[in-house]
Amino acid sequence: MSIPKEAYQALQSIVGPEWVSDDPAICNADMKGGAGTGIRDIDSVRPVCSIQPRTTEEVQGIVKIANRYGLLYSPTSTFFNADTAPHLKNTILLDLKRMEDFEIHEKDMYVVSQPGVAFSMVQWELFKKGLFTFVPGSGSQCSVVANHIFCGDAPMGWRYGLGYRRILACEWVLPDGEILKLGTKSMIDDYFWGEGPGPDLRGLLRGTKGHSGGLGVVTKLAFKVFPFVPEMPWPVGLGPHATYQLPESRFKIYNCRFPSIKQLADAVYELGKCEIGLVVMHVDPVFGYVARARGRGANVFWEEFTKAKETLDVNQGWLRVVLCGFTSEKQLAYEEKVLVEVVTAHGATAKPARPFDETNLQSADAISANFVGRRFASILYFESLDHCVKVGKENAERKKKYVPPLPDTYGLPGWYVPYDFAHICKEENLNQSDVDDVVTLGELANECRQNDLKMGAYPWAEDPNMFGPAFFGYDRKLKEIKEIFDPCNVSNPPAPIGHGHFTPTKPTE
Amino acid sequence: MPFKLEDYAIDAAGCPRCSNCKFIEHVWIKSARFARQCPINVMHRFNLYSAHGLMHSALSILDGTLEFTPKLQDALEKCTSCGACDVRCKRNLDLEILAVIETLKARAVEMGKGPALVNKAIADKIAKSNNRYGSPHQNRLKWMTKEIKVADKADVLYFVGCRASYADKEIAQATARILNKAGIDFMVSADEWCCGYPLYSTGQLDAFQKQVKHNLDMLQKSGAKTVILSCAEGYKTWKVDYPKMLDRNTEDMGFRVLHIVELIDELIKDGSFKLKNRLDMKVTYHDPCNLGRLSEPWYHWDGVHKKWGALEPPKIWRRGDKGVYEPPRDILTSIPGIELVEMERMRDNSWCCGAGAGAREAHEDYAMRVASERLEEVKATGAEAVVSCCPACKEILKEAAAKSSEGIKVYDITEIILQAMA
Repeated sequence: MSIPKEAYQALQSIVGPEWVSDDPAICNADMKGGAGTGIRDIDSVRPVCSIQPRTTEEVQGIVKIANRYGLLYSPTSTFFNADTAPHLKNTILLDLKRMEDFEIHEKDMYVVSQPGVAFSMVQWELFKKGLFTFVPGSGSQCSVVANHIFCGDAPMGWRYGLGYRRILACEWVLPDGEILKLGTKSMIDDYFWGEGPGPDLRGLLRGTKGHSGGLGVVTKLAFKVFPFVPEMPWPVGLGPHATYQLPESRFKIYNCRFPSIKQLADAVYELGKCEIGLVVMHVDPVFGYVARARGRGANVFWEEFTKAKETLDVNQGWLRVVLCGFTSEKQLAYEEKVLVEVVTAHGATAKPARPFDETNLQSADAISANFVGRRFASILYFESLDHCVKVGKENAERKKKYVPPLPDTYGLPGWYVPYDFAHICKEENLNQSDVDDVVTLGELANECRQNDLKMGAYPWAEDPNMFGPAFFGYDRKLKEIKEIFDPCNVSNPPAPIGHGHFTPTKPTE
Repeated sequence: MPFKLEDYAIDAAGCPRCSNCKFIEHVWIKSARFARQCPINVMHRFNLYSAHGLMHSALSILDGTLEFTPKLQDALEKCTSCGACDVRCKRNLDLEILAVIETLKARAVEMGKGPALVNKAIADKIAKSNNRYGSPHQNRLKWMTKEIKVADKADVLYFVGCRASYADKEIAQATARILNKAGIDFMVSADEWCCGYPLYSTGQLDAFQKQVKHNLDMLQKSGAKTVILSCAEGYKTWKVDYPKMLDRNTEDMGFRVLHIVELIDELIKDGSFKLKNRLDMKVTYHDPCNLGRLSEPWYHWDGVHKKWGALEPPKIWRRGDKGVYEPPRDILTSIPGIELVEMERMRDNSWCCGAGAGAREAHEDYAMRVASERLEEVKATGAEAVVSCCPACKEILKEAAAKSSEGIKVYDITEIILQAMA
C-alpha cells in the first residue's frame, strides 16, 4: 500500500521533504513500538509514510491532509507505547520527536512541554531551579506528555498521586484537525491552570490508559512540578553502575522485611495515615533479584535467584521506603522515627539501604525485566491495597500452571505500589517469557482476565471490548466519544478501543 | 566468516524499543541541549536512524521482508559505529546491539549494497598501497625525523597507523619523542600495513582479514610483545577486532596492546616520568569512542542461548564502563597550569566526533555537523582547547573549529605531553 502522490507532496509541503519519508526501511522501523514488544504489536503493519512535524500547526496540517485523503494516522514520540504502532494499512506515522521544546515556569512551578521531550531532558533543568518531577518505572526516556496522558504511574505517587492529575492546561489537535485549548490556555496565553470554562475535557485524555492516539494529538501540555531539597543529587558511576548519589541530609532509604503480606499491608495503611514517606512500596522480589543482577548478566540472576529459592517465602512482604526531608532535616528525622515505630509494631525491622537513586528521580530500570527472557507482560490493577494483595497472590499462584515454558518465580507476588498515602494501589506482576513463548504469556493473561471478569475486578489498561460490558458498558461510551471526536475514524482507529493485551485488531484494507 | 548477522538475530529480536539508545545515561544528563547521544538519530530523527530502527531492520533483512533500501544504506553509511547505543542498552539488558549493526553493515557489503563508493575506493587503496590514502608504501616511515631514536630490536613496537604516518605526522613525531624521553626502547616497522579499521568498520570483513593476518605476522616476526598505539581506532582494532576475527580472547593473543596514554600514565604514577613545563590553558577532553567505551578487551564466546536469558557457557559482557577514561585525564591534570573542565557528554557517554566508520569519507557534510555539535559542547565548557587521543578525532574537530569563529584550539594529547616535557 502506498500513499497517493498528491497527499505525499502535500505532506512534504508542510514539514519539508527532509522530514517525511515513504522509504520502506524508514516505514519498517516505525511499525513496532516498545513496551509490549512481540505482544501488543504482533500484527502491526508498516505505515505508508513516517513524518516528523515540528509545530502544532504542522501537526494540524498533517491531520487535515489525512482527513482529506482518507488516510489514518498514529502519533508517537519516544514510542514506548506499542498501542500506537500502526495496526491498520494506510496509516501515517506521526513521529513527534522533533517537538522537543519545553519551558519551566519556576515561580508557578509548572512545565509546558511538547510531546518529544523525555523526562530526563527536563529533570536536571528542574533541579537547577530547585524543582523536580519524577519518572515512571518504565524509564526516563519516556515522553513526559505521553506519560502524563497515559496514566503517569510512578512510585512517588505515594505522596503525589498519579501523573495524570498533574495535567494543567493543554493544546490538542483533534482528530479532524481543529485545535482545542483547555484550561487557562482557552482564555489567555498561559498554561498555569487546568480548569477553564465549560466541562473539563482532560478526562478524555487520560482515564487510566490514555487514548493511545485515538483522539488526536496533544501538542503542548503543562504539568505541575514540585519543590526539591536544597542540595542536588549527584551522578556517580559508569555504565550499568551509574546512579544518583542522594544528599544524605535529606534522603534516607529503608528496606523492611515483613513476616507476612498482611502485616505489610497494615503497616502501609498506617504509614498512609501518618502521611510520611516519598515512596512506600512492596517490591516484586523477582525484580529485586533482577535489579541486583543488572549489569552482571542473566546467568548471575538465575544463579542467585535459584540459590534463594529455599529462603524466599511467598508470604513475606518486602517493603521499600524512601524518606525525604523536603522542608528540613527535622522533617526527615521525624519521618524516620515514625517509620521505625510503625514497621516495628507490625513485626518488621527497618534496615537502612544505600542512599542511591532507585527512587525514580532519574534511574528507572523497569526495562531490565526484559533481560530474563526478553519479553514480559505486565498484568496490572489499580484498586485498593487489599484487593491488590489478594489478586497479586492469586495470579502468582495461577502462573504456576504455565511453568515451564514460563520461568518459575516460585509463586512470589509482584509489585504493590500504593498511591495517595494508600488510598489506591497498583498491583503489577511482571511475567517474563522467551520470545517464542509469548503465546503462553497470552494464555496466562487471558486466564487472569477471565477471573477478573468473574470477580468484578477491573484490571488496568485492558481491552474495553472485553471489560466494558462488565463495567457499565464503558466501551459503548468510548465508541460514542470516538465517533463524535473522530467522525472520519482516522486517528489510530479503533483506539481508544481495541489493541488490548493479546486481542490485536486484524489488519484490514 | 566468523562474525555473521545470523549469530546476532536473537540480540536484534530482544530489542524492546525503549529508546534508551538515543540518550546518554540519564543520570549524567545536565541539560536538554546535550541529552542525546546517537549522531545519526540527532541529525535525522527517524527511528531507522538509531539502534532501535536498525535492530528491526536486521530482523527484516534476515526474514526477507526488507531489502537494503537507499535510506537503510544511508543510515548504515552514516552510523559511526560509536557504540553509544550499545553501552546504553547494556545498562539494563544483555544484548549485543553494536554487533548487530556491524554485521548488518557486513551483510550490506555481501549483498552489494555497501559500503559507500568512497569507502570501497579506500579498500582498493589499502589493497594496492597498504594505506588508506593510496600513498606509496615506501613513504610510511617518512614522518621520522633525525632526532628520533628507534631501536632495531625491542620488546615494544610502535604501530603508527596510516593517519599519523601520512597525514598527521606531528602525532607520530610527538609519540616517538615522548617514548624516547621516557626511555622506552621501541621499534617501528616498515612492513606495517593499515590496521584495517576502515575496512572492518564499513563491513568489508574479507578485506579486513588480510590486514589482520599481515599485521599479526609482522608483529610475530618483529618479536615484540607490546604494541603501542597513538590512534584510538588502531588501538580498538588491535585490541578488540583482531581477536574477534580469530575467535580468541584479547588476553590470549600473546601480546599486550597499549595506547600511549596508558603507558605515560603508568610512568607518571610510578614517578619515572614527569611533566614539569607549565602550560596555562583551560582545556576539555574529548573521549574517543574507540579508546573509551569500545576498548574493553574482547572475550570470545561460542555458546548457546538457553531459556530465559541464560547463556551456556556464561559470557563476559563488555558494557563500556571499563574503557580508558582516567589515564588521559590524569595526565592532563598532572601538567602544571592546565585546568581540565568536563563536557556534559563524557566518558562512556561521550558524543562521537563524526569521523568513525567511514562516515566522514562518505558523508562529509553530515560528519562535519556531528563534529560541530561536539564543538558546541566544548564551547559551553568555556575551554580554550579540546584535547583528544586519536588522529581521526583531531582532524575532524580541527576542521570544524577552523570553520567556526570561536577560535577553539584542537590538540592531540601527545602534542600537549610533548610541550609539557621538561
